[in-house]
Amino acid sequence: MDFDFSDDQIALREAVQRWADKAYPFDARRARVAAGGLDAGVYRELAELGLCGLLADAEHDGMDMGPVEAMLAMEALGAVMLLEPLDQTLLASALLRSHGLAEAQAQWQGRIARGEVIPALALHERGQRYATVPAQTQAQGSGDQITLTGGKHVVRAAAQAQLLLVSALYQGTPALFAVTAGASGMRVGRYALQDGSAAGDVHFEATPATLVCADATQALAMAQDLGVALACARGVGAMEATLRITAEYLNTRKQFGVPIGQFQALRHRLADMKMALELARSMSYYATLKVQAPAAERRQAMARAKVQLGRSMRQVGQEAVQLHGGIAVTDEYVVGHYFKYLTQLELSHGDTLHHLGAVSDSMQASAGVFV
Amino acid sequence: MDLAFTTEEEAFRAEVRDWVGSNLPPAIASKVHNAQRLTRDDMQRWAKILGSKGWLGYGWPKAFGGPGWNAIQKHLFEEECALAGAPRIVPFGPVMVAPVIMAFGNEAQQKRFLPGIASGEVWWSQGYSEPGSGSDLASLKTRAERDGDHYVVNGQKTWTTLGQYGDWIFCLVRTSTEGKPQTGISFLLIDMKSPGVTVRPIRLIDGECEVNEVWFDNVRVPADQLIGEENKGWSYAKFLLAHERTNIADVNRSKRELERLKRIAELEGLAQDWRFRDQVAELEVEIVALEMLVLRVLSAERAGKQSLDIAGLLKIRGSEIQQRLTELMMLAAGPSALPFVFEAMDAGWQGDATAGLEGFAGNAPHCAPLAASYFNMRKVSIYGGSNEVQRNIVAQTLLG
Repeated sequence: MDFDFSDDQIALREAVQRWADKAYPFDARRARVAAGGLDAGVYRELAELGLCGLLADAEHDGMDMGPVEAMLAMEALGAVMLLEPLDQTLLASALLRSHGLAEAQAQWQGRIARGEVIPALALHERGQRYATVPAQTQAQGSGDQITLTGGKHVVRAAAQAQLLLVSALYQGTPALFAVTAGASGMRVGRYALQDGSAAGDVHFEATPATLVCADATQALAMAQDLGVALACARGVGAMEATLRITAEYLNTRKQFGVPIGQFQALRHRLADMKMALELARSMSYYATLKVQAPAAERRQAMARAKVQLGRSMRQVGQEAVQLHGGIAVTDEYVVGHYFKYLTQLELSHGDTLHHLGAVSDSMQASAGVFV
Repeated sequence: MDLAFTTEEEAFRAEVRDWVGSNLPPAIASKVHNAQRLTRDDMQRWAKILGSKGWLGYGWPKAFGGPGWNAIQKHLFEEECALAGAPRIVPFGPVMVAPVIMAFGNEAQQKRFLPGIASGEVWWSQGYSEPGSGSDLASLKTRAERDGDHYVVNGQKTWTTLGQYGDWIFCLVRTSTEGKPQTGISFLLIDMKSPGVTVRPIRLIDGECEVNEVWFDNVRVPADQLIGEENKGWSYAKFLLAHERTNIADVNRSKRELERLKRIAELEGLAQDWRFRDQVAELEVEIVALEMLVLRVLSAERAGKQSLDIAGLLKIRGSEIQQRLTELMMLAAGPSALPFVFEAMDAGWQGDATAGLEGFAGNAPHCAPLAASYFNMRKVSIYGGSNEVQRNIVAQTLLG
């Protein structure tokens, strides 16, 4: 039992932090939001750092690292509210590696790891909330004659991705398919999400697709759970930044002739934000260390972690706004954007109520980290 | 990074579990598992059993006859004791005053006081708070004036937990009014049988007398019972507070109590009530998060690193969770938690015909103590530095 990071892990974190500090000041981020929310140059730099292949095997030019390294990278990038969908890239890469057919792996793994292909996950459908299995999208045909018909909702980087991994019912079973950008019968909408990143809805009408995984139930559950773990890490990074900025503001802003950080009513709320952050960080560690646990244990752990993260992120976001005052709801100041980023994370990969339901369903007669 | 305990740590846990399992009297464990009243004898019996194994001072270094366990081993010991239903170790002797005597007492004092603490023979109390000095402890007024080779002590302490059973009491007393309030305080050990010491139990809203007022009226205390230097007592008290930080979260007991909450909910027909279940689920998440926070602090402590910025959170969160547990247990019992029958807290109580509660114990033996536990646990966010004082400390680390 220890929570220390190895020297290599610390070096990775520092490298990512250095890059983030240089490449991602708030003004640059604003400009990227205005330009569409996904900067191809930034994505290339992430690939050059090796981050796109963090979870891919060495054979496919990956770094062959694990959940702890992914967590550290995500924390550092969450701290600057990264717009580019690197977490989604890691999910796609992990999905292919653990559940993809050999041909799909050979075709995509290396290109994703090298950053040549931006993958998008098209897994959710309108009206199905956070369900991990598809209900409406259908696959037909066989071999190299498979086509998809249906639609996917809130697909991140839908218009920028060269590869979409799409879940669909295939002979009544959830399966996973690859669809390439520009495929016939595919219509891609474009909108920005609350955090300014790029997304869109995607519609398929007899769109050609290739099979990635024939029975994808476990793969989709894994994708949700790893997605939770990465979201937890991003949230921790963002909350840490939010807390730091709020503390600086309380020590700077003066009212009644003194820095407002001298008022106990505000100090206690800041202490509660720190509590929320550290409980969340603890559960982010917990989630990360349970990524490779058996599926049922992993699911319970991720549900617990996301409940804590959801509560913490909502509290930290709302309190940061309240402690700042009006400045925090202006578009030009950074904290309102952290609030939106944290809110979006709560509503991604299953919200707090969704996961609380899972915790409630899995409650046994005992409790704690080790059961 | 690794969540699992090592093979050695698991073997250590198994050894503790075996020993506790075969040495903890079942009658005592049953009372703890059912939140029933523990007598002085129950508490001291367990203390002496631990003492005979050399584990009452489980945090002590080997040099003073302790087991010399590291932070993880101490945690595992606490967890095994809590899960087995062992009474809480009365901390004032082995956990609080002993480390101060080891660090600041002289050799004669160590030889004189430590053996009785280690064996559980001598019951210690804590004399800190006063009627006018709660959160602002440094304003304390109990005076100790030097008179030859004695101190003469006058004043009043209060909230002295289980002081009615105390043989000795360690006190913060004022020996100087010069300078800042903190600089005139000394750390004095006082025999509670000394002439002029009066103990008056305070009845609390749960019907118990868990705390006391202790009066000192010209009590003559030999000067060789002063720990360290005169007027340095405040720094010793701060050392004491810095000691033993993780167990204050009491997460091990909260894990046990969460299981009990689930059993009570089941018995009361709430197991499939989603509104209630979701509240239990939220609490379960909070307990896992607290446990992870504790483990992070332990991991840092074992590695010899400071983790002050998160250690300060443990008391706040731990106390909130303890309170929430008792709140939900009482709510689960509903109207069955309402009869305020003092005797119903005792093990073996079979109901009271005159009150018309004959069947009460038989139908719902778990319900009688629930409201009392709820009322009793309001203390945990008040004592040991109120949660508001703790938030001040956390904010201080963030804002200066």
